[in-house]
Amino acid sequence: MINAKNIYKNFGKNEVIKNASIDIEKGERVVIIGPSGGGKSTFLRCLNLLEEVTRGEVWLDGKLISKPDPYLHDEVLKYSDAYLRKTKRGEKDEDKILSEIKENRELKKREGIRFNKELKKISANYGQDINVARRKMGMVFQQFNLFNNMTVMQNLVYVPVKLKILSKAEAEKKATELLGRINLSDKKDAYPASLSGGQKQRVAIIRSLMMNPEVMLFDEPTSALDPEMVGEVLSLIKELADEGMTMVIVTHEMGFAREVATRVLFIDGGAIAEDDSPEEIFTNPKNARLKEFLSKVL
Amino acid sequence: MGYYFQGFLHTIIVTFIAVGIGLVLGFTVAIIKISAGNYKFMKIPAIICNIYTTVFRGTPVALQLFIMVFAVFAIPGFKPAAAIITFGINSGAYVSENIRAGITSVDKGQMEAGRAMGLNWLQTMIRIILPQAVKNIIPAIGNEMIALLKETSIISMVGSTVGTLTFDLNFASRTAYKTVTNYLATGIIAAVFYLSVVYLMVFIVKIIERKLGTDDKRKEYI
Repeated sequence: MINAKNIYKNFGKNEVIKNASIDIEKGERVVIIGPSGGGKSTFLRCLNLLEEVTRGEVWLDGKLISKPDPYLHDEVLKYSDAYLRKTKRGEKDEDKILSEIKENRELKKREGIRFNKELKKISANYGQDINVARRKMGMVFQQFNLFNNMTVMQNLVYVPVKLKILSKAEAEKKATELLGRINLSDKKDAYPASLSGGQKQRVAIIRSLMMNPEVMLFDEPTSALDPEMVGEVLSLIKELADEGMTMVIVTHEMGFAREVATRVLFIDGGAIAEDDSPEEIFTNPKNARLKEFLSKVL
Repeated sequence: MGYYFQGFLHTIIVTFIAVGIGLVLGFTVAIIKISAGNYKFMKIPAIICNIYTTVFRGTPVALQLFIMVFAVFAIPGFKPAAAIITFGINSGAYVSENIRAGITSVDKGQMEAGRAMGLNWLQTMIRIILPQAVKNIIPAIGNEMIALLKETSIISMVGSTVGTLTFDLNFASRTAYKTVTNYLATGIIAAVFYLSVVYLMVFIVKIIERKLGTDDKRKEYI
């Protein structure tokens, strides 16, 4: 469903994500753990391109949603100056030339017309507008980010109605149902400023559900909450998990991770250091940094 | 007294038209500057806007007025309009910075939430960010209006030399003292006029602020 291919993310000279790749299938619940500053949140935000990736590609349901990365397409590289120069010089081994170009990153800032044409072809054939793609990916933030200028009800119905995913009546019906589900029906006309953190986060979660997403991304959904409100949010997420929602969750709640995950990623220093089932990660960690991390948090 | 009422009326007309021009211009410039962060093709318009704000905030408005009235728009009978345009453009430079600051002070998570749900940048800006920014912007705009109202008095600098531009309070009071002998009284009368208009503006801004405070529970404590 989501395929991240060799993604890198730089903030200026600071490399935050270094060559991370992941394939997430429908129904998987991927929990991302790791030390602070290791790039967990950035990695998650790269998946729906809230952070534009510096290198590499992000695919959703077989559609390319990031810019195409020429280094991942041999058929494009064959029109690069470096390739043409090398073949002219009499080098025959295609694979060797291509791997050389990739290894030494020999593409120029501006390549020829044919090269750009091939690159555009990839966008035309596989590309999808990011705004359309994002409708399928719900995102829940650490700071909730409910629209402060709208009531709870408006928060829920505004985007699906605006993007013509639901009619106004459908949206209101669905919103009422979802509010009932989280026991906040009486808050439908309240503004976010009057809700508690836990209430805000639960509204934020059902706001994502209003869009009928195929996958939900959770960016530390409980980190900004008072301890007594963590439970209500986690149990809502767990309910969604039990219903078979595909999820990617960045969290520091190890117990929750173990309970809900079908797969755990350990991200450290911007790279996926370990990617395994929760049993393996928590009972039989292989990576030295992971062992150290678990010994501190468990 | 006739001079006063004419001056009073003209001061208000000049201020309101100039504020109108300033708001439209300031809003456009602010949006262009901010959108440059998201849309690459707005980079060059944003540079032009930066030059505009730098020049008009960096030079005295009296100088701008002189240049506009006597050089750029030195068309007979066009002087009042030239003055209004000058104040409008000058005000636009300040207003644009007020609006820009108001927009950037909205939590960036709001934009992220809108974008993450599939709204594009402009949709999120118009429906999510701007309504929240308005609350931050209104007090600053009110301030700018008050400053502009009083700034219009420098029209007398070009008005008195031209003789055709006799429409501001300051000039009215100067004309008036030729018939009235008391300098202090004419000054005080003009001051009362200015003060009453400013007070009215402050009052209107307060009402608007209160109306906009509905989604902020802190309003009860302010």
